[in-house]
Amino acid sequence: MVHHADAKKALDERGYTGTLLHGDNPLKLFEKAVRDRIVDSYYWKEQCFGLNAATLLDRATDLSFIGGTYGVAQKPTPFLCLAFKLLQLTPSKDIILFYLHQEEFKYLRALAAFYVRLAWEKDEEVYKTLEPYLADRRKLRRRVREGWALTYVDDFVDDLLVKGRVCATTLPKVNPRGFLEDEGKLEERVSALGEELEEMDEDSGGDESEGEVEEVGSAMVVGRGGGDGEVVSDEEMSGD
Amino acid sequence: MTKNRQQPTRYRPGKAEIDEPHSEDESEESEEELEAAPRAPAPKASSFPSQRTLAVDLSKAGQQRDTAPAKPKPPEVDLEGFVTASESSEDEAGDGSSEGEVESSAEEEESSDDEPKKPMLRPTFIPKNRRTQQTAATATDGAAEAERVRKAKADELLRAQLERDAAAKAAGRKAWDDDAEIAPEDEVDDTDDLDLEAERAAWKLRELKRVRRDRAAIEEKEKEREEIERRRNMTDSEREAEDAAFISQQKEEGEGKGKMAFMQKYFHKGAFFAGDSEQDAEVQAVLNRDLAGARFEDEAGDKAVLPEYMKIRDMTKLGKTGRTKYKDLKSEDTGRWGMDAGRKRREGDGLDDRFRPDDERGFGGAGGREQTGANSMPVGERKRREDEGGRDGKRARYD
Repeated sequence: MVHHADAKKALDERGYTGTLLHGDNPLKLFEKAVRDRIVDSYYWKEQCFGLNAATLLDRATDLSFIGGTYGVAQKPTPFLCLAFKLLQLTPSKDIILFYLHQEEFKYLRALAAFYVRLAWEKDEEVYKTLEPYLADRRKLRRRVREGWALTYVDDFVDDLLVKGRVCATTLPKVNPRGFLEDEGKLEERVSALGEELEEMDEDSGGDESEGEVEEVGSAMVVGRGGGDGEVVSDEEMSGD
Repeated sequence: MTKNRQQPTRYRPGKAEIDEPHSEDESEESEEELEAAPRAPAPKASSFPSQRTLAVDLSKAGQQRDTAPAKPKPPEVDLEGFVTASESSEDEAGDGSSEGEVESSAEEEESSDDEPKKPMLRPTFIPKNRRTQQTAATATDGAAEAERVRKAKADELLRAQLERDAAAKAAGRKAWDDDAEIAPEDEVDDTDDLDLEAERAAWKLRELKRVRRDRAAIEEKEKEREEIERRRNMTDSEREAEDAAFISQQKEEGEGKGKMAFMQKYFHKGAFFAGDSEQDAEVQAVLNRDLAGARFEDEAGDKAVLPEYMKIRDMTKLGKTGRTKYKDLKSEDTGRWGMDAGRKRREGDGLDDRFRPDDERGFGGAGGREQTGANSMPVGERKRREDEGGRDGKRARYD
């Protein structure tokens, strides 16, 4: 792929001839409004010009928070700008996996996870790649519309897999895990808790009757609401 | 002076740009004449705050305008002694002192060009003996004073800017991020391993919740399937029985709600908000509360007993001209609530026999009358009377 420093051609929707993601220009995964904010922001203009995968890695290691757009003027976070740049570059799978495997930089990992969820088209791959990081319990700082919030890597990855809209982007539809399990493409998730979970199950099965456990389960369902067959779409405004 | 202001020469393609030299010479000469008289020392470059300090804080731009000196040069002393009130007031504002100073024409021109035009006031004459007293006394003091003040302010600004830069560098603030000052990142701390046990416990909790969520989803699906199976396997009568029970239960719940008053406004917040299961129980209770039984405090108990004129939804409109005669849809509707909609209306329905269209003969049944008229009535059966009217029925009787 020819590497243009400016990559204006990618932004121009008319004659785009590069790699297609989900059948379209990768940059179209972000909405027009968000795209405009990113391209007009100082961070993009200063720091994201002429990046390639290596220099993007440097920028990503300097990240200190995740987030979508914030503030009254919907200012994009550097995280979002770098994600946009990744979509522009569409690096190969190895590079992205390399980013993900970096233990030392959690924001880089978050960025790569975001990209995986956006760009990869095969649902099973997305689940298989992202689920190991449900065990990463490190903290992440998150920029919300007004101020800051605290979240965790596993929480963020879970949002990516379950929610409909994260970081000012509507995530492309992915089949819920149940579907894929029924089709046989995936196996049931083995939680990182593993043995402890089994122990807890045994305990609860021994002490209480099954009916009670089920009731508790159904009570949780009422809270959740979206278990059957559709991606739970959380209509979050730009900040989340 | 009296010449029109020199407009910038406009670019005309094909024409070389000529600066007109003679006009420049004229103005220069006039300037030199005025400046021949003893003048206060020209200001040094350092007294004027540098561009850097001026451009420090865009947010304080307004303030800075005021603090920066209005005039770069000190005012010139004029031989003729005329003082224009505009300049004197300007001086007072700027230096707080002299009145006897007149700027050169060039500067006047400049100020009137650059700054918003000040109203020109009538010049007042100061006689010769009084001229130099005031000007000499206040000129030098004023100038020196002004310079000192300016210098101090400039230094202060410069120092503040330097401090801010140093602080920013120390904090690692990014140049592109203006919001770092408003909402600093440190509000949320993302250092890990501060309290290992607590963090591990928190993670376990989250993981458990996720697992429970997944399991609940599976169970929900299972229940659905079971329910479907069960209903399929029931016989019809059982199904009906269950439905009846469910409907009666619904009715009971419905009766518990208040009944809508006559002509009460009905508010439905819309189907979009229904079933938002992520809210608190409190919030849900508030949003789903029963409004049918609600009454306003001073509302009439029952609008049905009011005269027709007063039967309106919004009592504030009573007696006002803006009130429309529209009451409600049902009373304004001229149709028969859909009864007319389904029927196929034949053409000759309301018409007299004479005006019916010819092809309206009962298609598909017994044909309509070919012949109209009294004589075309089909002959029916003769009625046979019981007594002997048959033989003698029409005989002339002379009894």
